[in-house]
Amino acid sequence: MTVGQITLERFIVLLSNQGIRVRVGPFNVQINVTSTVFANQLYLLYKDYELVENDIAEFHVRVVSARSIKRPFTSHVRFLLDGQSPFPILPEEQALAALEWGINLSIAVRVNHLLLFHSAVVERNGQVIVAPALPGSGKTTLCVALVHRGYRLFSDEFGLLDPQRGEFLPIPRLMPLKNESIGVIENYLPEAQLGQKIPNTQKGTIAHVCPPKESIVRSRESAKARWIVFPKWVADTPLRLEQLPDSEAFLLLANNSFNYEVMGESGFQAVTHLIKTCDCYQLVYSDFDDLINAMNDLTN
Amino acid sequence: MSYTQQSHHRLLLDALNSPGSLVGLNTSEWELLIRQARKVKLLGRLAVELNNSALLENIPIRAANQLRSGLIQARKLQQQTHWELNRVLWALQGVEIPVIVLKGVAYALAGLPKSDGRVYVDLDFMVARSDLLCVESTLKQKGWQQNKLSSYDENYYRVWSHEIPPLIHTERETEVDIHHTIAPLTSKLKINTDLFFEVAVVVEDVNTQILSPVDMVLHCAVNLFQNNELSDDLRDLLDIHDLLQFFSNKEADFWKKLIERANQLRLGRPLFYGLHFSQVILKTSIPAAIADKLNERPGRIQLWLMDKLVPLALLPLHPDKPARSALFARFLLYSRSHWIRMPLYLLLPHLTYKKFLSVFPRKAATTEIKK
Amino acid sequence: MSSKVYWRPIGFSCLRIEEWNEEFTLYQPDSGKTHFLNQMGMQIILDLAQSPASTDDICQSLAAQFELCLNQQFSQQIISILNRFNELGLIEKVEKESSM
Repeated sequence: MTVGQITLERFIVLLSNQGIRVRVGPFNVQINVTSTVFANQLYLLYKDYELVENDIAEFHVRVVSARSIKRPFTSHVRFLLDGQSPFPILPEEQALAALEWGINLSIAVRVNHLLLFHSAVVERNGQVIVAPALPGSGKTTLCVALVHRGYRLFSDEFGLLDPQRGEFLPIPRLMPLKNESIGVIENYLPEAQLGQKIPNTQKGTIAHVCPPKESIVRSRESAKARWIVFPKWVADTPLRLEQLPDSEAFLLLANNSFNYEVMGESGFQAVTHLIKTCDCYQLVYSDFDDLINAMNDLTN
Repeated sequence: MSYTQQSHHRLLLDALNSPGSLVGLNTSEWELLIRQARKVKLLGRLAVELNNSALLENIPIRAANQLRSGLIQARKLQQQTHWELNRVLWALQGVEIPVIVLKGVAYALAGLPKSDGRVYVDLDFMVARSDLLCVESTLKQKGWQQNKLSSYDENYYRVWSHEIPPLIHTERETEVDIHHTIAPLTSKLKINTDLFFEVAVVVEDVNTQILSPVDMVLHCAVNLFQNNELSDDLRDLLDIHDLLQFFSNKEADFWKKLIERANQLRLGRPLFYGLHFSQVILKTSIPAAIADKLNERPGRIQLWLMDKLVPLALLPLHPDKPARSALFARFLLYSRSHWIRMPLYLLLPHLTYKKFLSVFPRKAATTEIKK
Repeated sequence: MSSKVYWRPIGFSCLRIEEWNEEFTLYQPDSGKTHFLNQMGMQIILDLAQSPASTDDICQSLAAQFELCLNQQFSQQIISILNRFNELGLIEKVEKESSM
């Protein structure tokens, strides 16, 4: 059963009492929200996620009302992971951003049985493109564009590599567009489903994009990587896709991982294997049509 | 005196005592167990227990993955602390200063079973007080640094504490804590540290020393019941339990030596609590009535009170519904930990200053304390 | 007889080494660190694994292998690489009685 298959009323009751338990890729997340301002938003954006019954949840998160000493008359919310709050309270309008950010943080600090890259990951024809996030890469925007043009979303944030099987695991989550990229995507992809704009967050204005339904439905299907593409968005530049030396790709990829060092030798082996089995490129782009054509050529 | 377990605590303690029983847990029990184990840093320990009995494949995959994640992290921290020791000993080559490695790294060097699942974050070692300056300056010349401290904290470390401000290598993250004795100088315990060096055990492979078995147990007990605030410190009690079991199986007259040494060093009380709570909470097998031979034991009322409070602090709070009684117990033991570390004329200004900082953190840098 | 300082690698057989077109990644299991080495750096470790050598010996052999001029600047470069490897725990100093 998916979130959308229960009524909004039921959803709100569950959310604010015992919490809802949804499957997000390989993890189950128990979400309990006492501040219900954004429950409607969450219901819409999470409608395709599977509700979990009688299975272990790895993450127990809550978003609760909080009071700020500095600003006692505005409502605030606090994100809690197992009762601990990993970052300061935020204004109530940012509750959805707090929840999404908090879940990402929870994954990043706890998961060590998988190698975690800070990368966008998409799949086409059964093979995966890993696009590590470097500053200014615009990985979320790139990811949103690709997944609305036939690519399957694994994640706009996490490359989860199972080192034993050598395969990436999908973890499709809401994709937060920032600032100018919101308008860019609204123009380029009118069909994309965006949540409300949340102004004044730490990263400016944010709007969350729903993953395509198919990506969520197929989020148990893992796949091997074939290409590693380091993207960079540069305004008004013609597209360039150039091979990257392996040693440089190794360095960039190892540095891109959250837990490369934690995983020790298996991390080293996994990155070595990735570089040996993938083609590594550097990509500079500005135009989405050019981008999609180039990626199609690459993956055909 | 027995301690009435809360049901979530029973789940955790049963898991530690008989890992085989874990195979029968249902979904919600697994979830509650893992959340508690994570809180008290015992995921790696449970993973090792299950691995040893070849059961890690027979439990729900989501539980196994979380335990594995905990174990991988524990092993990384161990690798870091052991490597830090390697580099510290490298840096001290040619200085010829006796070093005694303490706590987690020392337990591993002593060959304590199951220590490979233990989480230890820092490298702790002890040198004679007269060698302290030399060690500190040698390490500082070879790449270690101290974080800038406020003059209050600097003074606290230098005048009152049993260790100096931690050193951290500029290219690595592991904190190096250098001790010159085992309890704060302000506490009532006055310890002749030379006695530890006289009987320290040489570890050939790494060319360093660790405390003798009985001293290691005493240090562990002092650290838990004298230096710590006890909240979520179950792991430290488990260390006492593991050390007692390991050494008493290895050495025939271990218990006799332990009691004698505690009396000699006047560490009877922390050892009493160590033995008592290890037995009460973790069912350690300890010969009957040996604690009666300790010269310094807590009074009946004190023990009654500690029996009420200690388990509530050591064992984790229920992750969804923390009991008020447990929160209050933790508050009382927090107060106790400060009380026994410092005389009252130092304690009140110290806590007032810490409280002041928690409200006005920015002031820390500008506040000067006049001696 | 005089005593001479030699360099030798630490735990060479445990290192995991991968070559990427004249550059190398080297995983050191004791520290858990990955080191990036160029050809010269790798050659130093490989040579020392064959047999321990003094700083002078290393400089001479490298200058010959890479067809470079053995001058003071070159020696300084090699010394700083050796000191760096020493700090990283990749190599160590040993004093050996020399009967040569």
